[in-house]
Amino acid sequence: MKFNADEIASVIQSEIEHFQTTVDVREVGVVLEVGDGIARVYGLSGVMSGEMVQFPSGVIGLAFNLEENSVGVIILGDYLQINEGDEVRALGRLLSVPVGDAVIGRVLDPLGNPLDGKGPVNTTERRIVETNAPGVAERQPVREPLQTGIKAIDAMTPVGRGQRELIIGDRKTGKTTIAIDTIINQRESGVKCFYVAIGQKDSSVANTIKVLEKAGAMDYTTVIVAGASAPAPLQYVSAYAGTAMAEYFMYKGEHALIVYDDLSKQAVAYRQLSLLMRRPPGREAFPGDVFYCHSRLLERSAKLSKELGGGSLTSLPIIETLEGEVSAYIPTNVISITDGQIYLQPDLFFKGIRPAMNVGISVSRVGGSAQIKAMKDRQVAGGMRLALASFRELEAFAQLGTDLDPATQARLDRGYRMVELLKQPQYQPLNVVDQVMVIFAGNNGALDQIPTSQVQAWEKAFLQFVRDQKAAVRTQIAEKKELTDELKNALKGIISEFNATWKPGGK
Amino acid sequence: MAEPNSQKEPRSQQSVPFDSGKAYLGTVYAKALLGVTQQAGNTAEVVAEFDSLVADVLDRLPLFDATISSLRVPAEEKLALLDKVFNNPRLPARMSLTLLNFLKVVMRHGRLDCLRAIHRALRQLYDALQGRVAVEIRTAHAVGADELALIADKLRRTTGLDVSLQSRVDPELLGGLVVRVGDTVYDGSVRNQLSRMREGAMDATLRKLRETGQQFVTN
Repeated sequence: MKFNADEIASVIQSEIEHFQTTVDVREVGVVLEVGDGIARVYGLSGVMSGEMVQFPSGVIGLAFNLEENSVGVIILGDYLQINEGDEVRALGRLLSVPVGDAVIGRVLDPLGNPLDGKGPVNTTERRIVETNAPGVAERQPVREPLQTGIKAIDAMTPVGRGQRELIIGDRKTGKTTIAIDTIINQRESGVKCFYVAIGQKDSSVANTIKVLEKAGAMDYTTVIVAGASAPAPLQYVSAYAGTAMAEYFMYKGEHALIVYDDLSKQAVAYRQLSLLMRRPPGREAFPGDVFYCHSRLLERSAKLSKELGGGSLTSLPIIETLEGEVSAYIPTNVISITDGQIYLQPDLFFKGIRPAMNVGISVSRVGGSAQIKAMKDRQVAGGMRLALASFRELEAFAQLGTDLDPATQARLDRGYRMVELLKQPQYQPLNVVDQVMVIFAGNNGALDQIPTSQVQAWEKAFLQFVRDQKAAVRTQIAEKKELTDELKNALKGIISEFNATWKPGGK
Repeated sequence: MAEPNSQKEPRSQQSVPFDSGKAYLGTVYAKALLGVTQQAGNTAEVVAEFDSLVADVLDRLPLFDATISSLRVPAEEKLALLDKVFNNPRLPARMSLTLLNFLKVVMRHGRLDCLRAIHRALRQLYDALQGRVAVEIRTAHAVGADELALIADKLRRTTGLDVSLQSRVDPELLGGLVVRVGDTVYDGSVRNQLSRMREGAMDATLRKLRETGQQFVTN
């Protein structure tokens, strides 16, 4: 391959021939001080809040604080190239990022510049980063399900398209895994996925990208990275930039999913900026508008009305707690903004219950109406949360060592097996029909005679059995999305047929 | 009295580390001084005196500037010094009472180090009051007086305001003219045009490359 210099020269020549000498009019200011991702600028008297400014090195900034004598600018790039006395020019534009199909499958920085070495992002369409959320008339209630592929979540805290479901928990409890599983499970659903990594180690982001690639999920996923070494302004802006890219698909009538991993680090970046800008600190030194910072971000996730195409943007914000402290400032804020939360607990995680979801305090406030009928059935996930809660109570009571009557013992045994059934290895999302079938089996006592340690092996073999020999029933459930009495009887028949032949393996 | 529009402006915003706090204080004091002089009706004289104070005294006698700015010199001594220098019957020129009183007030507040900032703000406010606007022009080569007059005349007609010109020579511009009115810059310099041409060529090449990528490559 050789570059053709003549062609390039002809393009440049025509550019020079058509160059028009016009006077360049610009509004300018002078850098007074610079450091830690912010600059204070004198002048720029006509600049507007949020407007883009440009430093001589080409680095872009945003007017963040408009004060009587100076303008506080957050610098989206390398601030070490900026000197005191530099001329800053206002660009008269708002920050925007490239959007469209070209960003799918890419790894980008918050300004839309590629980080994956796959060449420039080939799109001319751009979208403003900070836009208003759709209003009341432009929305409709959440109705369609967004299958996460995780049994415990799809059964008990279902997520609907357009919902905001918070994933909250201590470090190392599997928060990111739930989000990644959900992305992997969108392979056939046509939902475009956006993963915004904020303030994370670049090594873990690289790992996540690898997992997504391995699962074939990068075909419909965009990763936006503002790593731990990125300046605070970029970390702060990244969440909004990712939302702008995802919103494009929502307004086009398609469905998108965005994961913010995680918003606590974004809040910390915003706190850093605000303190450097000398905005007054409030609780935990966060600025007063940190709630608004998150609420305006998450309000942009919506299910649009039919007139607007009925597209949706679902968001899975992640919050990391310290020592399970959900009553800290940022966790309470985000809990109150979102439509429910999935609460992950370290003790469950170490007991081997993964996903380590605490069923008692995890809720989904709108997802129930988005569940498919088959899942909502009373014999499937209908009363599951209550049943598990009463099991936990019973379990605590049984630990006192008293003798139990057979009925109580049976309830306990059923509970142990249901808990076992809800365990799921990471990066292996399950189709909703399969979920319905195994939970139905568990609720109907199919597992009562199986040793607890064999439940997962049973599940695997059972699903394989159905897929191999009873595919007709499976497709019927998938088509009807409902468990009719007929199908229930068919399922019961399959279960007893399978149980008659299945032998627990070794161990 | 000093001509404020002289070519050699010793301290421009660019060459001195700029203190926005002092600039703010300067505006406050300048507004107060203007309020007094407008009531007394001697604004023009006081502004001219202030010009002279900065250009003929502070700039020429840095030690005097340092003395009155210093916090180590007691207030009584500064007061005596101000009276001795500016209100001495034996000297030919005496300061108007308004400005002297103003200086004493500034001194009492320990802000004599802000005199230049006050002067700058006063000049700006006074110019705005007179319908005059300070314009800075930068050129690659020194410009003759008649050309300056031509530019000033042209600017006067386009802005509709009385223009006070300040010109500077900046060889990096290569050619052309840069006019700055307030925070707005009208850049007609050769340097700017070259860099914009460069950007344009770069953009056009990139765009072409994206549209018809193979055109540039011969296998």
